[in-house]
Amino acid sequence: MPERASKMETIDTVTLSVINNALINICREMGTAMMRTSYSPIFNEGLDFSCVIFNRRGDMIGQAEFCPTMLGSAQYAVNWTIEELGLESFEPGDVVVHNDPYRGQCHMPEHMVLKPVFFKGQIWGFVANIAHVGEIGGMAPGSFAADATEVYQEGLRLPPVKVMSRGEYVKDVWKIILSNHRTPKTSWGDLHAMIGSLSIAEARLLGMLDRYGARFLTAASDRLLDYSERWMREEIRDIPNGEYYASDCMEDDGVTDQPVWIRLKLVVRDDEVIADWTRSDRQAKGPVNATFVVTAAASYSGLLHLTSNDIPRNSGCYRPIRVVTKPGTVVNVRHPGPSVGGNTETHPHIQNVVVAALSQAIPERAAAAEGASGCNFLFAGVHPDTGEYYTNYHIDGSGWGATAFHDGDSAMCPENGNCRNTPVEVLENKFPWRTLEYRLRPDSGGPGKFRGGLGSTRVLRVLAPEITVSALMDRTKTRAWGLFGGGKGGHGGIFVKKSGDTQFRTFSEAFGTVSDSKFTRVVLNEGDEVMINSPGGGGYGPPSERSPKAIERDIRQGWVSEEAARRLYGHGSQGA
Amino acid sequence: MGHWEENTAKWYEQTMVYCDLCGKIIPKNFWVVKSETNRLVFCNPDCEQLYGDYWLPSQERKA
Repeated sequence: MPERASKMETIDTVTLSVINNALINICREMGTAMMRTSYSPIFNEGLDFSCVIFNRRGDMIGQAEFCPTMLGSAQYAVNWTIEELGLESFEPGDVVVHNDPYRGQCHMPEHMVLKPVFFKGQIWGFVANIAHVGEIGGMAPGSFAADATEVYQEGLRLPPVKVMSRGEYVKDVWKIILSNHRTPKTSWGDLHAMIGSLSIAEARLLGMLDRYGARFLTAASDRLLDYSERWMREEIRDIPNGEYYASDCMEDDGVTDQPVWIRLKLVVRDDEVIADWTRSDRQAKGPVNATFVVTAAASYSGLLHLTSNDIPRNSGCYRPIRVVTKPGTVVNVRHPGPSVGGNTETHPHIQNVVVAALSQAIPERAAAAEGASGCNFLFAGVHPDTGEYYTNYHIDGSGWGATAFHDGDSAMCPENGNCRNTPVEVLENKFPWRTLEYRLRPDSGGPGKFRGGLGSTRVLRVLAPEITVSALMDRTKTRAWGLFGGGKGGHGGIFVKKSGDTQFRTFSEAFGTVSDSKFTRVVLNEGDEVMINSPGGGGYGPPSERSPKAIERDIRQGWVSEEAARRLYGHGSQGA
Repeated sequence: MGHWEENTAKWYEQTMVYCDLCGKIIPKNFWVVKSETNRLVFCNPDCEQLYGDYWLPSQERKA
């Protein structure tokens, strides 16, 4: 097809739709390649990565169903990279890596790799992905230091640097990276899965450029950006103008046993939304701080949850959403504050607060709060079967909030992560744990006309002489709120039973950690057991309006106990 | 009326310039607006505009 479209020419909607879907499918194919070729379970089971396409101006023109936290922040990381390095510095075959939270990234484990796509000697755009690299050094194995007080304890910080130059390894950079990771072989495999998927995306994008021509594809993707912006503005116009307030807290920061508050004033002004977070608490000593881009991504994600699913996901739909923060607060950490938990734990809280604020304006579209914890559990040691050192980043799903028309989903990764739970078989096959229990926890979903999703319980027994564990969770003291008469979800927790003990205790009781839910480098021994309870989601609407059939199904499935059904729903007490 | 400036910090320095409206760290080029009393730095003219039509009025209301 010849190059034939200028900005003023018509591109028919069918062609636009075909191009939009092609861009989405390239991103999906990148994801499939990463899943199939990566080494670590957080990649190939958890799918903790996101794949994107950008034009040369730094607009995101393609994404797919990956992690909202990464998708929202990708445009900042990519734009920073382009601006810091300069377009003129890119050559065909280059790949840049970047994980610096003080250069537009979300937190240290999230690594972005980015490759320019050249067509007829010019950069047409970029393909990129962001993924959670499971071990990047720092003070805690698994690089999730729940008691870190500065970014330098959280692992190796990489500004945008080339790891491939004109298709060749930049070996000096690779040596620095791999010398600072505890499990370099795994990092090598995962980073190559990321880089390999870029090559696939580059080939597919070049195929599109061959077919449509650079000028036409640029014009079409520009139209898609504008279309997406217009649609989002129309959706916002449907929300009554006004100021809406909501708040939530991180229950502690891992270093001090004090809550840290996130406060939002959300202003709907005709066709734009201003998310003003400036009343939030000062930044925490521990790593629950969010970077600006995390807060921005959570603000976008909150709005996207309440607007049409059909809006094309690209930079255009973010344009009407303005984010205002104050540096030095929990929603915009200042250097050198730590932030590893800000991306996984604080992000869903921020997103939930956006939804809570807008529930006052559009209650029929809102959801109650979710469990909002990734239940991050890190462990490391020498595997007794292989003699090799391993680390692993493990996440557990929590309950989602109920909505105006259905129960919350159970044991799901928080909405910001959109990851998968790791199967028991994979966990046991790769690491020296025995899974004694893995089940939904009865009565952990907030009661309501629609019930909150249930949290899970997982009990693991140590099969090796030693395993070093760390954790970073939240909602173990606070609980997910319900909406419009719905009740709160059950709180989560992490507990330990030393070999020979008869009962589980908190890690504070057993090991003296400051926080029950955020700690690092606790050494467990063979026969010790860990119990991870993920929090449940909030309910929606009065429990008295729940249908008796739904309550009976809950009891039959073991999701709600008979006692709770009587106490919370009045079930059986009046012949119901 | 504003103008663009470039962060002239050396490549080995960690100088972070924050937008006076949104709070984002600005990579390299920032939009500067000077008045008789102060100098404000923004990501771009859009942030300057929101500073004028949202932030300042909200602060005045608070005062």
